[in-house]
Formats: sequence, structure tokens, C-alpha cells
Amino acid sequence: MKPPTSWKPIHKKLAAAVILIIVFAALPIFIENDYIKHLLIMACVGTILGMSFSMLFSTGLISLGAGAFYAVGAYISASLAMNAGISFWLTFPLTIIISSILALGVGAIFVRNGGIAFVIITLLFASAVVIAAGQIEFLGGWGGIIGIPRPTALGPIQFDSKMSYYYLILIILLLVVLAYYALYTSHIGRAWKAIKLSPNLAGTLGINQYSYRLLAFTIASTTAAAAGSFYAHYFQTVTPGAFSGWLSIYIQLYAVLGGLEFYVMGPAVGSLLMTFIPEYLRIIKEFEPIVTGVLLLVVILFFQGGILGTIVNATKSNGKNNGQGIHSIRSWLKKGKNTGVRES
Amino acid sequence: MTPGLLAQLFLNALSLGSVYVLMVLGLDIIIRGTKILNFAHGQFYMLGAYMLFLLFQIMHLDFALSLVLAGLILGLVGAICYMSIFHVVRQRFTVTTTFSYRLLLSAMASVGLMMILQQGTLLLFGTEERGVKTPFPQMIDILDVRISLMRVIVILAAIVICLLLYFLMYKTTLGKILRAISYDPEAVTLAGINTRWILVFCFALGSALAGFAGGIIAPLFSVTPDMGTDVIFLSLLVLLVGGIGSYKGTILGGLLVGLALSFGFQFLGGIAELFVFLLVIAILSFRPGGLLGEAAD
Repeated sequence: MKPPTSWKPIHKKLAAAVILIIVFAALPIFIENDYIKHLLIMACVGTILGMSFSMLFSTGLISLGAGAFYAVGAYISASLAMNAGISFWLTFPLTIIISSILALGVGAIFVRNGGIAFVIITLLFASAVVIAAGQIEFLGGWGGIIGIPRPTALGPIQFDSKMSYYYLILIILLLVVLAYYALYTSHIGRAWKAIKLSPNLAGTLGINQYSYRLLAFTIASTTAAAAGSFYAHYFQTVTPGAFSGWLSIYIQLYAVLGGLEFYVMGPAVGSLLMTFIPEYLRIIKEFEPIVTGVLLLVVILFFQGGILGTIVNATKSNGKNNGQGIHSIRSWLKKGKNTGVRES
Repeated sequence: MTPGLLAQLFLNALSLGSVYVLMVLGLDIIIRGTKILNFAHGQFYMLGAYMLFLLFQIMHLDFALSLVLAGLILGLVGAICYMSIFHVVRQRFTVTTTFSYRLLLSAMASVGLMMILQQGTLLLFGTEERGVKTPFPQMIDILDVRISLMRVIVILAAIVICLLLYFLMYKTTLGKILRAISYDPEAVTLAGINTRWILVFCFALGSALAGFAGGIIAPLFSVTPDMGTDVIFLSLLVLLVGGIGSYKGTILGGLLVGLALSFGFQFLGGIAELFVFLLVIAILSFRPGGLLGEAAD
């Protein structure tokens, strides 16, 4: 297995990253339509959420609770802005601090339940947060909080157009990517990977499974909360209905669709697709969930490495089919190995 | 709060809890055998209710017969779903595939199945609520407590199913294989048992239980396409309380959640579900892995 920090491809990675950043920074200049800009903004938010899912998955935990902390972040930010009257530039860091403490507390109980129990408990937590937000009068009940102020002007930059919000979320996304990259390439990231591959073996090597997983949970949840804080100031309304339990399932869909072993690009590709494809399926609105379900099944059954994994495999083998696509089952039987999962 | 009302509430809780028990036993059997966290389980439950509606209300079959048929049909649907989707997903795994990856992909496949079944039912039957007339409208008067016979029948049916399952699991060879598979599928294969069909049976049995639970609840509540998504959260809650992989724990958890929800709705109103969730968190912080389960890694 190649560690992600091997020296050879790092300049390639850097070049690719710079090109991507330039492309995405220049994108809104060519797009006139405000609605498409809005979709791009939501795709960025989705990418952050998908990356937070990927981080937990890199420790072998499947969290369906990213939506929960997304909601928690949005509500903390909204109530801070409405009750204390402070601007986004203060609520954003405050949200991060408060939600990280919350995540640490909640995670201390959740992470002890590994495997299937963790999946269930995080999903239930997500729906419990929605019910709590709907029932508590202080948080606006089911009507939600309306009229959250926009971020105050930062020097000459006014936050009154989609363009400014797009650059704001792009910068947040970039910071998150840098932070995640630093984590993944440090000894912490390697410990996470070891835990994912074999928890017991990692334990014998002196890696404290519980605390490393708790760390991943805290960081991932805090990231989701940061995205929620942006969401609150972008939409200017926060309602419980926006964070239903199925949101969390969509978040993991982003990561699975894009490719699970691509911690940054996977969620990005997945969330771009999942944001834009349903828009073009609007014509057949009634069949949309069926189409999404079938798409999901096709990806899982035939392209297990996700979209990116399939592309990478196809280019690496020079067009030879090695485990992806329709013939994957046959080749799997022949070779006795599955290249869809390149973990070992 | 008269003792009569209290007793009635208790009985309602018991009937609700016994339906959860049936649902979650199915979920638990599927998880133990095939290691799939089946989100489509709620949709099987919903389909079971629709099957009963079709067989009993439209085709005027006998209630008991249509209930059994609903269970059998859903078992068949489950078997088809397993063979066409989950078995193929499983085929793609190798020895090096991590447990979390297996779990995630099969869970996501079940989410896809869930979406298709949910929207398919919605398109087929429409959004309106369907009522199934109660086959047992009689009320029993004991002292000054009035109990609907239907609820008693629900409880009795759940007890019968539990006993049958106990017999299957602990008194037959098939049950022995099923229990062995939940510990070590490879070892079972090495013992010369064709695990493939056992796993199909596992999934079918779990789905049949969900269909049966949906069928028996249909006369008590109205039948809607949304009933599956509502119940799956509570079923997962029950699974968590009782402990995954413990049938006794599931029964205990189902009754506990049924009681907590019924009394919670009576005394607390809308925040009852929140209260139940906090209760579960409290239990889990003292006993990770559930009441009677073991903490897994």
C-alpha cells in the first residue's frame, strides 16, 4: 500500500489542486444564473459534510450523524446571532468551539458503541436533534428561526450576492481541506487507517482505538457544525425540517458515490453530482427517488470504488478491465481479488 | 388517572411493544446472519400492511390466512431482494475487505432499495390513508377496564411467533446453523454447509417477520406509504436498547420502548420520543452494547 505522503506524486497533487482551485474560483465569473451559483454553494457545503463523513469512515466508523451536527451548528449560530446580536465573523468561531465541546461529550458515549450500534445511535441522534429543535420554544419550534443577519461587510466586501457567498464557502472549504490533509498525512491519520484496517491489530501496536476514534468524531462533527453555521447565515432561516434524518444518509451517499478512498475529491465529485443530477430530473419528479435509488444500487453493485475509483482504475490499467464495470463479477471470479477496494 | 385508564394504557403499550418486538426480531435475525443493516426493513413492514389490506379488505380472505399469506409473500420478496442485490454486493467482497466497508456498502444498498420500494408504493397506491376494518371489534370488560380484543390478539400473536422462533432457533438443526453463522460464517462453510441458501433464508425470515408485523398492525392503525419510515427509527432504537444479537434483549427492549412511548405520549406529549432517546442514551452510557448485548468493536 502506498502511503499518501510518498514524495513522488506530491508535486502532481499540488499542481492538480492549484488548477482546481483556479477553476473553481473563476467559475462564477462565467455563470450568470444565480440559481446555478446557489447549487454550487450547496455542493461546497455538501463536500464539507461528505468529507466529515469520510474522516470518521477512515477510522472504520460509519456515522449517520453528520446531519445532526450540521443542524446543531446552524442552530447555535442562529441563536447566537439572534439573541446576542453578534455577527457571522464571531458566531462562526464560537460555533466551532461550542460544537467541538458538545461533540466531545456526545462522542464519549457514542464511540464506545462500535460497529452497527454506532451507525444506529448516530442516525437516532440526528433525528432526536430535529425533534428537539422542533419542540423547544427557544429555538423557534417547528417554524424555526427567521431573519438571521447576513455576514457584516468585511472592508469593501459586501455579502449581498451569491458570488460573495460562493467565495466565502470556497475559502472555508479550502481551509477544511488543508486541515484534513494535514491530519491525514500526520501520524494521526496513519493511526486512523490502522484502526480501520484492523482494530485489534492496531490495539496491539499501542494505538488507543477509543481516543483516536473520539478525536476523529470530534473533528468531523465540528466541521459539520461549521458548515451548519455557514448555512444559517446563508439561508438566513433555520427550520428543523431542513435537517431530517435522511439528510445524513444523503451525506454518506456523496462519499460513497464519489469514491470512499478519495477523502477530498470523492465527496466533492459525489456532492456535485448529487446536487446537479436531481435538478435535471425535476421533469419526472415523481420518479426521482426511484431513479436515485437505482443509480445508487448500480454504483454499489458495479462500481464499488465509486466514480473516481472506477476512473482511476480504468486509466491505470490502460483500458483493461480490472474489476470495475459490468464484467467485474466475472473478473472477480477469475482473479479472486477485488480491485474495487484498494486497501491492502 | 384511574386504575382502569392505567391498565388500558399498559395494554396499549404492550401491544405496541409486541409489534416492535416482531419487527426488531426480524431486523436482528438479518443483522446476525447476513451482517446487513437493513434500512428497507420498514418498507417490508409497510408492504406487509398493504398485503393485508389487499388480501383481507379487497379479496375478503380469512384474517388469519391473509396474515400468514402477507408474511409468506414478504418472505418471498425479501428472498428475491437478497438474491438480486445483497448477494451480488457480498460477492464483491474479499477477505481483505474491512468490516466497516462491508457494513457501509450493504447498508447503502438497502437505502437504495428503500427509496425504490417507498416511492414505488406511493405511485402504486397513492398517498391516501387506507383503513382496514377490525376483524375483532369486540371489547372485553374485566372489572372496569375495557380492552379491545384486537390488541389482545396482537399480543397473543406476538407471543406465538416468539415461541415458534424459539423452537426454530434452539430445537432444530436449521436454528443451530443460523446461530453458528452469526458467530463464524467461514467455519460453517468449512463444516460442509451451503451458507448461501441459509443466508437467503435468514433474510427471508427477517422480512417475513416485518411483513407479519405490518399485517397485524394494519387494523389498529391506518395504512399509509409513510408508515415504514416512521417505524424504522423506533425499531433501530429498540435494537439498540436490547443489544444487537440478543433475542431476549430485543424482547425486553421492545416492551420497554413500547411502555416508555405510550406513557410518555400520555404524560409528556410531543417530547416523548426525545425522552425515550435520552433514556436509551442513559442506558447505553452505562451498558455499551445494550441491556443484554455485548459491546462489539
